[in-house]
Amino acid sequence: MTAAVSIESVSFSYPGESLRVIDDAILQIEEGSFVLVTGPTGSGKSTFLRTINGLVPHFTGGVFQGRVLVGGRSTVDVTPRELADVVAFVPQDPGASFVVDRVEDELAYAMENLGMEPHTMRRRVEETLDLLAIHDIRGRSVRTLSGGERQRVAIASALTPGPRVLVLDEPTSQLDPQGAEDVMAALQRLVHDLGMTVICAEHRLERVAGFADLAIGCGGGRFTIGEPHDIVDRFASGPPVARLGRLAGWDPIPLTVREARRMRGTMPSPPPIEISGAGAPILSASGIVASYGDKQVLHGVNLLAAEGEIVAIMGRNGAGKSTLLRCLVGLHRHEGSVEIRGSKPVPGRTIALCPQSPDSILFKETVIEEVQATVSYTRSGVDVTTVLSALGIAGRSHRHPRDLSAGERMLVATAATVAGGAPVLLLDEPTRGLDLAAKEKLQDYLRRYVAARGAVLFATHDVELVAELATRVILLANGEVIADGPPARVLGDSPVFAPQMARVFGPGWLTPEQVHGAMSAGEARTR
Amino acid sequence: MHPGAWLIWALGAGTVAASTTNPFYLFPLVAVSYLVHSTHRGTGPQARSFRFFLTFAAFAFTTRTLFVALTPGGPTWDGLWFDALEGARLATLLIVFGTFNAVTDPFKVLRLAPRRFHEPALAAALALSLTPRTLESVTQVREAQRLRGMDVARWRSWAGLVIPVLETGMEQAVVLAESMDARGHGRTRRSRYRPERWTTGAMLIAAAAVAAAGPFVIAYLDHSGALSVPTYPIRWPSVSMWLLAGVFCLGMPALVPRHEERR
Amino acid sequence: MKGRSSRTVLLWVANLLGVAAFLWPFVLPAAIGGQEAHSVDAPWILAGLVGAVGGLLFVELGRGGLGPKAVALIGVLGAAMVVLRLPGSVGGFSPLFLVVLIAGNAFGPGFGFVLGATGLLASALFVGGLGPWVPFQMVAVGWVGMGAGVLPRSGGWRIRIAALALYGFVSGYLFGAVMNLWSWPYIAGGSAIGWDATSGPAANLANYGRFYVLTSLVWDTFRAVGNAAMVLLIGRPMLGALDRAARKMDLTVRSPATSSGGSA
Repeated sequence: MTAAVSIESVSFSYPGESLRVIDDAILQIEEGSFVLVTGPTGSGKSTFLRTINGLVPHFTGGVFQGRVLVGGRSTVDVTPRELADVVAFVPQDPGASFVVDRVEDELAYAMENLGMEPHTMRRRVEETLDLLAIHDIRGRSVRTLSGGERQRVAIASALTPGPRVLVLDEPTSQLDPQGAEDVMAALQRLVHDLGMTVICAEHRLERVAGFADLAIGCGGGRFTIGEPHDIVDRFASGPPVARLGRLAGWDPIPLTVREARRMRGTMPSPPPIEISGAGAPILSASGIVASYGDKQVLHGVNLLAAEGEIVAIMGRNGAGKSTLLRCLVGLHRHEGSVEIRGSKPVPGRTIALCPQSPDSILFKETVIEEVQATVSYTRSGVDVTTVLSALGIAGRSHRHPRDLSAGERMLVATAATVAGGAPVLLLDEPTRGLDLAAKEKLQDYLRRYVAARGAVLFATHDVELVAELATRVILLANGEVIADGPPARVLGDSPVFAPQMARVFGPGWLTPEQVHGAMSAGEARTR
Repeated sequence: MHPGAWLIWALGAGTVAASTTNPFYLFPLVAVSYLVHSTHRGTGPQARSFRFFLTFAAFAFTTRTLFVALTPGGPTWDGLWFDALEGARLATLLIVFGTFNAVTDPFKVLRLAPRRFHEPALAAALALSLTPRTLESVTQVREAQRLRGMDVARWRSWAGLVIPVLETGMEQAVVLAESMDARGHGRTRRSRYRPERWTTGAMLIAAAAVAAAGPFVIAYLDHSGALSVPTYPIRWPSVSMWLLAGVFCLGMPALVPRHEERR
Repeated sequence: MKGRSSRTVLLWVANLLGVAAFLWPFVLPAAIGGQEAHSVDAPWILAGLVGAVGGLLFVELGRGGLGPKAVALIGVLGAAMVVLRLPGSVGGFSPLFLVVLIAGNAFGPGFGFVLGATGLLASALFVGGLGPWVPFQMVAVGWVGMGAGVLPRSGGWRIRIAALALYGFVSGYLFGAVMNLWSWPYIAGGSAIGWDATSGPAANLANYGRFYVLTSLVWDTFRAVGNAAMVLLIGRPMLGALDRAARKMDLTVRSPATSSGGSA
């Protein structure tokens, strides 16, 4: 086995900053391994990934020490373009990196740059379209794709030139659970069959931990490589099975549902399903019909939310979640009615939406001014520092929002939206790029928010978030509501949307804390 | 369709529009552009750029004509007429450009540039592709800001709308440049995945564009005044059948069937 | 390293050619014959300037020059200049100058010159129309951007904005004064406000002063006031945004321990 990537005493800091984002990293990544990169939000995962094909330091400047060898070449000596045949990189926001307009041409783009033979290109394009199941969108314009489709196309176009090393930055953040599973399985096949090296940063460990044979943990500028169980135990708090393992004192902690099943011992009896007492209705939408072009995407959706409810809207990619949110706030033309406490919604006042891409609202030069701006628009009287510390970004108050990591920017945008204090708050995929600690802070804040102000509705693919946070789940499929009820009932027996605890212990179980509570109660009884 | 054919068409139509202020040539050119756009526009949001440039053209025409009132010395009918004609020329140029944008992808045109000129061509392609991207971003930012409570109609909100668009525009451009570099752009002689061929149709379009621009270039160079409209005093402009025929030559793409996308 | 030095040389060449283009009729008065300004020499100067500026752009935009990141930004900001020229101008004022002033100040003189020249050329292609004046405008707008880049970048925001507004005001007149030179020797020849090869520099300067006050002062006041007002009203957030972009453009890679580092 030879090293695909070898990182030799690398330190790096951005221009004008003294903090070393990478501090003397020494790692060897062997060829044909599937490597998971994990660590808290803003710990330098993206920077680390970008050193592997030389985008750091060639596109960032800064102080770079040591060297990164890829395929025997040092990334400082050659530019990223010289490494294009060896390393492929899928950035965090795949939409921004598309060069050509048509999906099929986008897949061929890197191969054209490398001067490959036309018949090779044809074959590779077909194979990759198959591998990622994107045959049906091959002729579409990349600008018209949904988030999940964009992610698949970005991965596909990184794969076509046949790189030895594939680097992915949060590749499943916009994919539904099934889609994420499929993409990961496809990548694993390439690792097993072709000996490709995959290096992948991801916060939703439940999606990738099972595939990784190595992991890199980062924190405080340090990067440690090792066996996944060990690294996850030290550097990350998730996935849920690992949290349960830690609570129950299992050793080693399980990383996958299968491992947890082997260790679970006696099964606690399923918990009674809690049905939250319905408060007064706050948001009511009925008969929502909406279309994109001549294609109808919502066929008469009815939706009710009561005071104090946190409603999750789930569904596979393209089920109409984002469109439904856009209809509720009145951004998308639709039939049917939407009312908040009996009157028409006022955007920004009685209903607010945090966009999926935080960059579209960030315009101030410090985080605190950004959030303050919302308070002065809405005269909500919300205390800015309280919001910032509740969401765990008080330490970033005086930084430029756009200089923060993707997860932190998401939090700033969320803070800038909740600061308006609207009685109905909508969030579109609010946990992109967030680590578990940040997610827990966000959850606590949202629970307090609904208690004080009204209701929260959020669209997400993050099953574990829904299991922890939602009081109710609405499942959309093909533009219709197919299930509506408490999470334990709706998610419990779904093969796609079931959280890890339900997979290990049967329908009804949602969170590791809940399971652990029942387990210790059971032990107490037997004793 | 070969992007080169569209480039030549746009250069031809642009030459015609730039060389004259005579509305009898400019209006038919606008009509011809509309025809070309409606028969050959693409499928992506790029295709919307025609409507966008049409709005832009109307806006530029109006402001340019109105600004005469603000010029030192005050407005005169002659001045107004002169500025209206200049405005019409600019509006037509914008519409021609909008058509070009709607029927082809700037990055396809970028590939025509020889390898040594990739960087300058990249700047040009980025600038060209900027309009649809900016348009998307403007809508997105407006919507998002409204939903956090900003009163987007107020003048004082300008920074909240302009700064995200500007920042996002610059960031996207840099990310794109980065992505192109990381994917080996300009590294070696490119091969073509599905080479665009110079079909008969493409050659017809190019030839018609050259034929259209020819008489206008000749008329421009011999200073006969055939292209200008008398403004001091205002008189009815003359029309030459040759030049008018040239304008209609630019409608050639409408007669060439667009290729069915091979599946 | 080679890229950097050839860049500096080209920047100088373009500037010297610009100066020469504006000034040569004064040195070689016999060549002035025709009615139309620069009708004889313009094509040649145009060729020379476009060649030099084109070469400069090519090297700046190409490998070893500004690098793909700056190329991307020149594309974006150049396009913004074109768009801002669309609504036309009020007197001599066009919002296009705002971009040149602010970007020049944020990114420095070299970038300012290249952006000014490229953006003007692009805007002329679409909006202004091509003519023998274009290369002169390219150089003059380039100078506006270069000057903005020379202004001090330290000190608080207030000082920077005030300095930039003042510079915008002054450069509003200077731009007009410089642009006049390309046609002045031809159009007002022989009169009390024209250029006279036989009288001395002092007399000519006085003539030019009179010519300027009569023909351009009001016109240029629009530009001067407009520039200053724009910078004061909306300059601050835009300068903040471009400053940040400029900070990220610093691509010098330092590698203190190993010798293999170089400038990107």
